[in-house]
Amino acid sequence: MNKIRTATAAGAGAMMLALSACSSGGTTQAADLSAKPDYSGNLSILTAGAGDPMSSYFENLVKDYEAQHAGVKITLTQETDDNAIKDKEKVLIGSQSLPDIYFSYAGNWGQNFADNGLAADLSSVIAPGTPWGSTFGVGSLDAFKYDGKYYGVPLYNDAKFMGYNKKIFSQLGLGVPKSFGELISDCSVIKKAGYTPIAFGNKDGWPGLHYLGQLLAYDVPASVRQSDLQPKTASYSDPGYVEGMKQFQQLVNSCTGDGSNSNGVAYTTAQQQQANGQAAMYYQELIEFDSVNTKGSELSKDGFGIFQLPAPDGAKGDAATLEAAPEGYMINNRSKNAALALDFLKFVTNQKNASTLSAPPYGQPSAVKGAVTPQNATPAVVDGTGMVNDAKSTVVWLDMANVPGVADAWVSASEGLVSGSLTPEAALKSVLQASQKAKP
Amino acid sequence: MVTLLRLGRGVRGAAVWALLLALLLVVLYPLVWMVGNALKTNAQVFNDPFGLPTSLLWPNFATAWNQGVGEFVLTSVSLTALATLATELISVWAAYGLTRVNIPLNRQLTVAVLAGLMLAPTVALVPLVKMFQGLGLYNTFLGLLCLYTAFRIPFTAFLMRAYMLDLPREVDEAAALDGASTAATFWRIILPMSTPIIAATVVLNVLQDWNEYLFAMVFTSGTGVETLPVGLADMMSKNGTQYPVVFAGMVMAALPMVILFFVCQRYFVRGLAGGVGK
Amino acid sequence: MSTQAPEAAQARVLAGRKVEQAGVLRGSGSRRARRRGAQVAGLVWLAPALFVLAVFVYWPLIENVAFSFLKWNIYNGEQTFVGLDNYANLASDPVFWRALGNNVWYAGLSIVFQVFGSLVLAAIVESLRNERWRKVFRGIYFIPSAISLTVAGLLFYFIYQPQTGLLNVFLQNLGLGQFSQAWLGRENTAIFAVIAMSQWQGFGYSVLLFSVALQRIPQELYEAAQLDGVGPVRRFFSLSAPLVREMTGLMVIVTISGAFQVFNEVMVMTSGGPNNASQVLGTWLYHAGFVTNDFGSAAAIGVAIFVITLVLAMAQLAYSRKRRVEW
Repeated sequence: MNKIRTATAAGAGAMMLALSACSSGGTTQAADLSAKPDYSGNLSILTAGAGDPMSSYFENLVKDYEAQHAGVKITLTQETDDNAIKDKEKVLIGSQSLPDIYFSYAGNWGQNFADNGLAADLSSVIAPGTPWGSTFGVGSLDAFKYDGKYYGVPLYNDAKFMGYNKKIFSQLGLGVPKSFGELISDCSVIKKAGYTPIAFGNKDGWPGLHYLGQLLAYDVPASVRQSDLQPKTASYSDPGYVEGMKQFQQLVNSCTGDGSNSNGVAYTTAQQQQANGQAAMYYQELIEFDSVNTKGSELSKDGFGIFQLPAPDGAKGDAATLEAAPEGYMINNRSKNAALALDFLKFVTNQKNASTLSAPPYGQPSAVKGAVTPQNATPAVVDGTGMVNDAKSTVVWLDMANVPGVADAWVSASEGLVSGSLTPEAALKSVLQASQKAKP
Repeated sequence: MVTLLRLGRGVRGAAVWALLLALLLVVLYPLVWMVGNALKTNAQVFNDPFGLPTSLLWPNFATAWNQGVGEFVLTSVSLTALATLATELISVWAAYGLTRVNIPLNRQLTVAVLAGLMLAPTVALVPLVKMFQGLGLYNTFLGLLCLYTAFRIPFTAFLMRAYMLDLPREVDEAAALDGASTAATFWRIILPMSTPIIAATVVLNVLQDWNEYLFAMVFTSGTGVETLPVGLADMMSKNGTQYPVVFAGMVMAALPMVILFFVCQRYFVRGLAGGVGK
Repeated sequence: MSTQAPEAAQARVLAGRKVEQAGVLRGSGSRRARRRGAQVAGLVWLAPALFVLAVFVYWPLIENVAFSFLKWNIYNGEQTFVGLDNYANLASDPVFWRALGNNVWYAGLSIVFQVFGSLVLAAIVESLRNERWRKVFRGIYFIPSAISLTVAGLLFYFIYQPQTGLLNVFLQNLGLGQFSQAWLGRENTAIFAVIAMSQWQGFGYSVLLFSVALQRIPQELYEAAQLDGVGPVRRFFSLSAPLVREMTGLMVIVTISGAFQVFNEVMVMTSGGPNNASQVLGTWLYHAGFVTNDFGSAAAIGVAIFVITLVLAMAQLAYSRKRRVEW
């Protein structure tokens, strides 16, 4: 019986599909940000904050905002910060039904929204120097800068750091390595002492990609990298690429426990190896700190410290750059309530709410300056946030910086370099080919 | 000579038993190990994955249940039940129409219903995603229900048709002589007579729907409509996973079908034999 | 679910289609001819099935062919006709060919183990005198087929772990430590590790089917052979194997077409990695469409899968026709 209802729904839907296909070509008025919000009407929001404990953060914000502005009704949809949010957004893009405010990664993910007229240009309100813009770290804002315009409201910062076991390091008389070469030689000392120097699991490809992203930023000049990111101008001819990939292979072979077998290990296993005190180091994201260094783990007894992956001596690129990317929110360019959406995002990023976000149980380091303090966050998170804020420049994850086809080629390259089936030269060639294929 | 022959037979007999028992071990050991790991602490799973559990952490099952397995089970159970019901009804009607009712273009329609057997669901994936996005069926329970139902119909109808072809013609004729309508004949005579094949196909469809992964993975994106297979894979890949809890979830996903198999073994065998043998 | 099956009907089903009543078919045909035209109302029985199949199965299939000639931008919905470009790209894509090759490996190895291996095994199980043991073996061998591929895949992920996995620990204990490796993380072993898992999962299913077929062979034939002093090995080759060759033939075809539709086990265990070494057509289609947003190429891969499975299905159809005559 329920089939009959399905049938009607299907028929009606088919018609809607046809209609929306016809109308999608039309141009729409850009969102008006300068209007004064009149605190009435509906606002729809899609977050990447589903799951425990994050989901309550936005739920509470919505409750508070609605309490302050009785005329506003907010529809909140939350997805988890992984493939779920990506799939959901692809669907909403495909059906041209993005909400007023939606989550975005920095890099190519956000650029697609900007380039295709789906995101409102927020430069007038959030560019560095504007009153609201001055409350954020410049690096976080720049991560959402496309074609000289600012499109995103960064919510929290993420960055990659080497987390290390303080007890193992002090036992072996090691300090924080100052150069990539020193890190490699420390590895052999640690290995001799019976520990895994660096826990590494590359089953998903991206853990290796994170090493590559940081190393290539050290080895390849920023301007070259920038032009290679665009398929139109990409040449991938800089010798720094091969150099960086060689360093990555060197690290995999001399520092990790599984070496060329690492593609068979999940990153969660690597996390566990560090938490158990078996591994001296594990290269991890800022937002992973509190799930690796958990209360009661061996690691927390031994002491947990972090340092930025040290740059190789004489590297040709930017030795001070840090692989880091904020995650943030954009306003739909076709939103009828853009001014209200802007007001809500200002509310989300005010000092009080930013500080709540940075504190347990959420522990997401807010992109707002001064929101992460020793009073509300764990020491490692405070350290990491400080290093992100102090970074002279940052570089976005390789898989987020590139167009999907090229990002995918990098993932394969990461796996091939680990197993040794790809030489750096061959890996670079496959990336170049993917880039040429992606040329518009 | 005779003793030698007997000895030879004995050796062969021993080899046969060794092979059968070794395979038994190959099948059972991973399964027992799965149950064992569901009772360990996370540290023991990593440090001593093959030891006997030093603890019996039954709460792992409760944790898994509360971490979403409960919802996955609820989704999977209702989806499996409704999809199987819909598939069975639609297929049994179709089989009845094709075998016991005089309809025009019978041969062509038979092909139209059964040709779906040849199609790999992956082939239709891209257009289905586009269609479901347009219909608002993407990421909905109803959407999965439609897919599960539709793609099981050709196979189910195929088995039922074969079975109904074998039912004696006389019963319909007798019913017709008594003045029974086609519908009455179906509900009162043919449907009850088809219980064996219905039972066999129900078991097969339940097995398929419960374990389905492709559609469940592509057509749902988190929250609310995840089925057990997809939910478990998600649990496994999420940050900071507690492996014993995943193992506990796996045990809970596997157990119902294993029990169902042993309880309904007869129907399984018949359904499976029917599926390939005809 | 009813467990009270009429015994006669049950016997008929288990006995197979020996009494395939061609007469019924022909009878209904002639009746149809007699009363042509008056039974359009009868189509109501078929309407739900035809509708559901048309909307969710056949229409998407047709659309898929159309999509394979397009390139589209998911951000602005623009679709451009590109002719055969997607197919040309496919033909020059080494991963596509590797995926196809992996499907062929899948088919070949599954035939060896799941068809012929299971046939031998079924014959051995059925030769046991004790009915209870026969049941035990058949039943337990089947268990992996009842658990979902996701569960089996996750289970084998742990078994294949490089340092702590069951397989490597086992090899080390046997003194074969030099062979231990990251089975799923090596480009030359990943697909075979997945195929091995699939054999573990599927062989019990085939054993069960072959057992059913073997049980249909009249017991007297065996007794006669035994009286003639024919040993068990020869009995297998001269009696069992030939008498179940229809089942064997069908199993071969079913196994091959299944091997070209493989998706779940690869997705769960490796997602096609490392470095795309374990991609099969199904996962490569998913990857093209949902990872790199290239729906046109995904549709073209879909057409390739369709053509392959269609050819195999035709073979299956031809085979079962031939068999019907023989029986």
